[in-house]
Amino acid sequence: MANYQQTAGQGGLAFELRSLKPARGFVTVVISTLMLIVVCAIFAPSAISAGGLAGSLPFAAIIAIVGLGQMLVVQQGGFDLSLAGGVSLAVVITTHMSGGSDAQLFSSIAFALACAVVAGVVNGILVGVLRLNAIVATIGMNALLYGAVFAVSGGVPRITTPLMAQIAGGKTLGIPNSVLFALVIMLIVSFVLKKTVIGRRFEAIGANPAAAHAAGLKVQLYQAMAYVFAQLHYCVAGILISGITREPTAFQGDSLLLPSVAVVVLAGTSLLGGRGFPISTVIAAFFLNQLSQFALAVGVPFSAQTIIQALALVFGIGVYSLRWKQAATKRALKSKMEETDNV
Amino acid sequence: MFKAKTMTAACAVATLTMGFAATTALAETPSWCGPNEASLALLDGFGGNSWRLVTTASGAEEAAKCPSITQYEYADGQGDTQKAISDINSMAARGINAMVVFGDAGPAVLPALTNAHRAGTIVVPYRVNVGGEAGVNYAKFIGSSFFEDGVSWGNWIKEILPEGGNLLFLSGPAGNSQGIDELAGMKSVLDAKYVFINPEPFAVTNWDPSLTQQVLSAEIAKNDKIDVIVSDFGPSLVGALPVFAEFGRSIPALATSDGNSLSCFWEQNKDANPDFKLFTVATGNDNVRLAVQWAVALATGGTPPTDEIFKAPVFENSVSGTPNPVTCRPDLPGSIYLSAEMADDAQAKAVGQ
Repeated sequence: MANYQQTAGQGGLAFELRSLKPARGFVTVVISTLMLIVVCAIFAPSAISAGGLAGSLPFAAIIAIVGLGQMLVVQQGGFDLSLAGGVSLAVVITTHMSGGSDAQLFSSIAFALACAVVAGVVNGILVGVLRLNAIVATIGMNALLYGAVFAVSGGVPRITTPLMAQIAGGKTLGIPNSVLFALVIMLIVSFVLKKTVIGRRFEAIGANPAAAHAAGLKVQLYQAMAYVFAQLHYCVAGILISGITREPTAFQGDSLLLPSVAVVVLAGTSLLGGRGFPISTVIAAFFLNQLSQFALAVGVPFSAQTIIQALALVFGIGVYSLRWKQAATKRALKSKMEETDNV
Repeated sequence: MFKAKTMTAACAVATLTMGFAATTALAETPSWCGPNEASLALLDGFGGNSWRLVTTASGAEEAAKCPSITQYEYADGQGDTQKAISDINSMAARGINAMVVFGDAGPAVLPALTNAHRAGTIVVPYRVNVGGEAGVNYAKFIGSSFFEDGVSWGNWIKEILPEGGNLLFLSGPAGNSQGIDELAGMKSVLDAKYVFINPEPFAVTNWDPSLTQQVLSAEIAKNDKIDVIVSDFGPSLVGALPVFAEFGRSIPALATSDGNSLSCFWEQNKDANPDFKLFTVATGNDNVRLAVQWAVALATGGTPPTDEIFKAPVFENSVSGTPNPVTCRPDLPGSIYLSAEMADDAQAKAVGQ
């Protein structure tokens, strides 16, 4: 530390990191994931074996897709609690309406997508236009969607069609198809958000709606559209679940709400809105899924598994939400003042 | 066109069956059905899955055997404890004579049951232990012997694996009493040669097929040798078992509860998986029948049945073929239970397919 050069070097690095600020969330999530892989290799090699990954990656893909959907809403400072209903409705529509027959699979998928658009538009109008609280509006929508789930399925699970199982559960070049779906969706979302005018406006509105409004952007429209595209993500995730899980229940979306928010936070998207980090979100989904696989592979009791996941979430929020540097400076200042007081 | 014809045929068969059942009921009234007229209600804590739909339909079918039952009501708590409690209260207030209650919420519904009991209603909770005691809080509790299920599985495991081996036991939510009782049953017949490789007391799956799939793939990756998988909800494994193929391993022996989708899965995969043996106990839809018999007997002045606990019989055994070989009915929905007393077609109708 006494070495001036070293200090200068660190200062340089810090400067570089500052100039590459968008990468902060990315760096953190990549480092965490690499660390987790190392820990897995040492303590639970089965969690990163080819067979182990083949079993767990499809579920990481699902979390990634719902996470990307949730990210769009969080970018606009919102929250989408209708995720559970949206996913579950897509699952029951694809399994029940197709009635186990491949011939009707694509019409049922089209219907599921149409339902998702309707749900998204209603959410969007309630939150974006009528300015209802996002949590209240989407929790109501969730109840409505679950009503539809019961109307379609009666709560009864049904076996998926062979074609759907092949599409979502199959592999291409040794990679699970669901993972390919997640990667393609990630690329589309990244491209649209970062490289198109619409995407740049979307992020600008998320960062500061008032300024964006003053600049003449259609704030309400963009905010509403976030919910529509979020529902489409949930719908795709639900359709994939109906293929990955042979006999999915009618409540398959319930367990995805928390992970969807967790990956958005872990990826560094502010809960107050603003920039989105699609690639980091997908890596965070892999991280979160791998974390539970690690817990399962180590064989810790269920209670510990839950605690490990919760700690990961706290860690994620801790890294991004607290201003560590500011807090440290404050502390230093305070102790200095106390010292002066004592003297 | 074909579909319409099939539907008509199915309806005709169903009508005939029902007609036949009605005639039989009229011809010989069961001994538990007494002469006094009474009304009966079936109260479910949660009615939204195929197992519950078949169970509810079975309860209605059993009650229909007794001509003294003049009114039959059903209420679904929809997994909401408050609604389940208010259902019990409102049935009692309406003056229903007897109620059979699936108390999913456990002791939370006991005060409502006790009030109904004190108001003179015959209250018969079943399957889920609600606490309290018979005669004070309700008339009779008709439990199910999960311990017996564990014993049946344990005995079969000893038969196919006399030298001992590695067992993987999957059950529902963490700490559920069903899983703990089943484990106690298995441990009562299996000695230390049989090693449970799951975390104590069982691997938690919440009976959710998707979580089951994740748990199973982690366990397979971790353990090179799994000789028997024990699960108390067989059909939830159907999605997860193909994971073995990912590892190039045969699906091992399976001791579980029955379901049409599981039996059909065994049919389709037994040739490719030499170690895949299947043993099932009845999944217990008929537990409700025993509870209905007790409630009706007490309300109408009939003779109560001798059994107070429902013991799920062994249903399928792919090794010995007794009491039944594994039976797949590909023409019927996967979500029905061939072990249930209810006719297969009627079950298909009950689950809406």
